[in-house]
Amino acid sequence: MKFGGREWALAAGAILLLVYPLLAQGAFFERLGALVLLSAIGASAWNILGGYAGQISVGHAMFYGIGAYAPLMAYKLWDAPPLFGVPAGIAIALVVAVVIGFPTFRLVGHYFSMATIAVAELVRIVVSNWDFVGAAIGLMGPATSRTVLDLSFKSSVPYYYLFLAVLAVVLGVTWQLARGRLGYCLRAIKASERAARSLGVPVRRYKLYALLLSAGFTALAGSLYALMIGFADPDSTFGLLISVDMIIIAALGGAGTLLGPLIGAVILVPLREVTNSVFGGGGSGMTYILFGGIIMLIARFEPGGLMEIGRRLAGATRRRPDTTPKVADRAA
Amino acid sequence: MLLEANKVTKQFGAFRALDGADLRVEEGEIVGLIGPNGAGKSTFFNCLVGDMTPDRGRVVFAGRDVTRATPEEHARLGMGRTFQVPATFEDMTVAENVMVGAFLRHPERRAARAAAEKIVERVGLGDLAEARARSLGTPGRKRLEIARVLATEPRLMLLDEALAGLTPAEIVRAIELVRQIHASGVTIVIVEHIMEVILSLTGRIIVFNQGRIIAAGAPREVVEDPAVVAAYLGHSLKRGAKPLPAGEAPPEARP
Repeated sequence: MKFGGREWALAAGAILLLVYPLLAQGAFFERLGALVLLSAIGASAWNILGGYAGQISVGHAMFYGIGAYAPLMAYKLWDAPPLFGVPAGIAIALVVAVVIGFPTFRLVGHYFSMATIAVAELVRIVVSNWDFVGAAIGLMGPATSRTVLDLSFKSSVPYYYLFLAVLAVVLGVTWQLARGRLGYCLRAIKASERAARSLGVPVRRYKLYALLLSAGFTALAGSLYALMIGFADPDSTFGLLISVDMIIIAALGGAGTLLGPLIGAVILVPLREVTNSVFGGGGSGMTYILFGGIIMLIARFEPGGLMEIGRRLAGATRRRPDTTPKVADRAA
Repeated sequence: MLLEANKVTKQFGAFRALDGADLRVEEGEIVGLIGPNGAGKSTFFNCLVGDMTPDRGRVVFAGRDVTRATPEEHARLGMGRTFQVPATFEDMTVAENVMVGAFLRHPERRAARAAAEKIVERVGLGDLAEARARSLGTPGRKRLEIARVLATEPRLMLLDEALAGLTPAEIVRAIELVRQIHASGVTIVIVEHIMEVILSLTGRIIVFNQGRIIAAGAPREVVEDPAVVAAYLGHSLKRGAKPLPAGEAPPEARP
């Protein structure tokens, strides 16, 4: 592989992620690092369906919530280490994805988004009123670490490296997907379902594959959240704002790009934590005013997100052919 | 018989867009579909390619009943189509657009890439293989659509006004491309308003009006049919139009 500017930037970024806990002193920054990675996992998972396939789900919180609740249910029901509930959470999320995928994929554009909001809110309301899963109060994990399998650490650093490993897997799978047939076809579906179909792309089946991958990884992100925080309630895991977070993070960095969600998380999560700590209890409102402003800026000026801006800047210096306007007329 | 449509009927509410249309296309033919706007050409076209399901009638392609088959199944069986308004994948490069079609016969990425590169060269977009589709003008997009369909290795290609919006010089080049594709063994059905294109390319034309076929046959005979003149052409093309020899720009001949 030729090492150009892009490869050096990637290598520097990877090294920075690996050594960050050594550079960041203090619990606040260690925790911040873990939260950035957790959000990056969630947004990257959403990105497979929302970014690559262009199916803007605003209901991914339901998968996140299922993933968060499953480990805590394993502890509640059987006193098992929460870790043991993680596969169950992913499995349930996959089943839910199939059940909602078939009817909702008949809808396109905003209608699909609205349907996902409706289903996710329905799930949140059911969970909020279902005593078996803790109703509005939610669920707790083990209060103290019983064995190492409880993955209950005082420091955020072990979580940081756990999340980094999971993020590497999610990005690795996404990279592999994007460069194969499925990735190309999902991008085609995003641009024009009708045209993709006319070229023999099995649109519904591929959208379902994207949803399954996306839902599975989102559930895993939810599980990681529960393992770190040791607590989950309906609003903090099934809430609409969890879905919105994933979308804004991915969109800011660049939806449909491999590293866009990570870049979005690196910018937005610290911003959120700072506004939360500056404005205290009322801070969450402030955070979303800020996020709303960011959505407007992205939608108005650069729907491709920061990755697209980076690509343009790189294109301006390298004069890539795809930045020259209306060049085809000379060919045809 | 490669394609056979029998008494295809499609109704939207009280409006009968298509009323018992028939079509028979032999392997190796170029057939033109013409008619005024709203005559039912597009509805018929959509019923043939699986975008719409006829209310009545039957469509058989390569011996298979495809009346209710999805567009994906049509593509797999070897029927490809272009769109009246080009539906290129804007954020993908020219080569990537064509790869989406090539994946149908070459599931492995490298094979799809190699097939796509050959086709991109063949349609004259070689220099622009890495340009994004959004940077192309109308002629480039129309060519890209044809390239994408070619990549699916079709037996039958349905072109929906693939030459509309082109300048006379571009039309001549596009006609040459269609001829080359035909010469490579692809059967072609073309919907087109530009009569010179129809006269230069097709061996047989079918004229639609108000959801029905009002004339069919050899181009020269059909354009002189009084019913066709009255419904569509407005005047006889007897002295005016002639088929275009390669390299000559056509006069404007929109009815």
